[in-house]
Amino acid sequence: MAATKSQGRSFTLFLVGLTAAAAGIAYLSEGAGKVALVIGLLIVAASFWQFIKIKPLEGKPALGLQPTGLKLAGIAVTLLGWLTVLGGLFVTPSVGGRLFASILGLAISLVGVLYILPTAASKNAIWKA
Amino acid sequence: MKIARCITWSCALAVMLMAGAVNVARADAPPSASAAELKDAAAKAPTTAADLSQGDPGGTLTGTINDVPVTDAKAGLTLADVANQVGQNKIGINFTWTLICGFLVMFMQAGFAMVESGLCRVKNANHTYMMNFFVYGCGLLAYWLIGFAIQMGGAAGSMNLGGLQPLSAEFPVSLFGHNWGIFGQNGMFLAGHSYDVGVMVIFLFQMVFMDTALTIVTGAAAERWKFLTFSVSSVLMGAFTYPLFANWAWGGGWLAQLGSNLGLGKGYCDFAGSGVVHAVGGVTALAVAMIIGPRIGKFNRDGSSNAIIGHDISAVLIGCFILAFGWFGFNPGSTLGASGAGCLRIGSVAVNTMLAGCTGTFGALLYMWSLKGKPDASMSANGLLAGLVAITAPSGFVNPIASAIIGFVAGVLVCLSVSFIENSLKVDDPVGAISVHGAGGLWGVLSVGLFADGKSNYGGSWNGVSGSVTGLFYGDASQLVAQLVGIATLIGFVFSFSFVLNWVLDIFLGQRVSAESEIDGLDIPEMGQLGYPEFVFCAEPDFMKVAEQAVA
Repeated sequence: MAATKSQGRSFTLFLVGLTAAAAGIAYLSEGAGKVALVIGLLIVAASFWQFIKIKPLEGKPALGLQPTGLKLAGIAVTLLGWLTVLGGLFVTPSVGGRLFASILGLAISLVGVLYILPTAASKNAIWKA
Repeated sequence: MKIARCITWSCALAVMLMAGAVNVARADAPPSASAAELKDAAAKAPTTAADLSQGDPGGTLTGTINDVPVTDAKAGLTLADVANQVGQNKIGINFTWTLICGFLVMFMQAGFAMVESGLCRVKNANHTYMMNFFVYGCGLLAYWLIGFAIQMGGAAGSMNLGGLQPLSAEFPVSLFGHNWGIFGQNGMFLAGHSYDVGVMVIFLFQMVFMDTALTIVTGAAAERWKFLTFSVSSVLMGAFTYPLFANWAWGGGWLAQLGSNLGLGKGYCDFAGSGVVHAVGGVTALAVAMIIGPRIGKFNRDGSSNAIIGHDISAVLIGCFILAFGWFGFNPGSTLGASGAGCLRIGSVAVNTMLAGCTGTFGALLYMWSLKGKPDASMSANGLLAGLVAITAPSGFVNPIASAIIGFVAGVLVCLSVSFIENSLKVDDPVGAISVHGAGGLWGVLSVGLFADGKSNYGGSWNGVSGSVTGLFYGDASQLVAQLVGIATLIGFVFSFSFVLNWVLDIFLGQRVSAESEIDGLDIPEMGQLGYPEFVFCAEPDFMKVAEQAVA
């Protein structure tokens, strides 16, 4: 199906909703701001409802199913590495200790980014079939 | 009673006489030396209307003391008038410098469009050009609505641009006895107090940086990214992903505070954005490329990869030169001024930029020529870009020799990274954006912690910590730790955030075009028009036909 009028309309709706929501945040201290924020978020939600409604009409991509559990595990490990680095900053005041914690945390994150998530991405890759 | 009245009148008379005497004395006093000199200079200045009516071919009559605005015509020109004009001249020079550099960075969009489209197949040319074109609008709109406020809403203090005082609302969290900046709050829609001359300048300059980060992603997802999803993803990246990290590094956020709060060097230092711009774009590109999957025909059943050749190497190389030209706005412009403390390092920053681009080209070209037998054009182009990306963070803190080393390492690194991402990770990146901007950007951030020579001094402090930025090789290991924390945040947080965001978009919108559209080329199904309608397309290679039949 490719690009369609429905896509254009739903994207317009999304932009209108985002603009209204942003205006609401900018003037949140005023009553009109709160109203604009609620209306904006509702319009954004409506645009996403439109997106998901038209998605099946757009044809099937050449993409295998990526296992959700593995993807979540990859993200969790990546975030864990980052938290290790942040934690290391407060565990020790020494530069050497913080350097070690930073390298350790980076290594953990890289396991998530360079091993688990690529594995998830190519687990059922279409080129393997 | 009479005596009292007499005394009162006498006192009043005495006060009046004294006041009169003071005024007479003031009127009779000779003008101070400086005022006299100003009047003398004004009298001698050859700028009468008669003088100027004859023309000024030598440029010696135009621009004199008589051009300094006088606030009080009766008093004439005063020292305060001259001093105010000096201050305004400083800010004027810095505004002009920053704006022109911003214009140069904006033109880099044209370079990105040519590089990315040239490295894609002709059947996707219009689509790739259009992504590079429309990302400018998507990013600008989102940044004006929300992004700028998140990034710079608490970034007051740049004296080069007059202080930026309307941007003084950073949202902090208190942790372990310190306040840590999380996001800015002022500046949405550039309305209210942020309707300010200095704020407008910093908005333009920061906006074009943000758009550079967004453009990087379009390269890694080229030839298969649904235009709708690309549009929504770019808006969200310009509104949230980029501004958040940019606030932490440049907007007074917690990464910048690592020095003042924990004594880690001068905090996370990223002069012009190897991390903030390029690595943010690079890791987001990696996240999107993983979700969207490789192009049809990129990998064979045994996991080996096929080279899918781009359609126009001349566009790639010309685009690279446009980018290299724009980089002279990117790095030297990041002083945010040409007049003020440390701003005269703009020459050093520009030369460092030039050198790293040069050695980056050598690194990639010599690597390919020595190991693969040909001085590969597309990898040489990526080597130039990788060198420029890598020097972006350290350009303001290192010397020319270090710049040459940083660029050369980046040139070799990009070749190794392209091979690793393609052959080991099985991630398809048609233009090498993940390697150029992701790997090159992270290397640039790290190199600050190694090579910063402690000679730069921008007003005596950086990130609120007095002294100059100094890396491990010049005696400060703690700066390296601050840089590693930045790298960990880019990989651990920014990548994860981008991955989850684009995963959600994949669920709602679908990231990838249909197999049918991909095989036909995206120009007609997605854009409705071929990039080159009068071209005769060549037959695709055999491996591509086999893959397309398998998918069909």
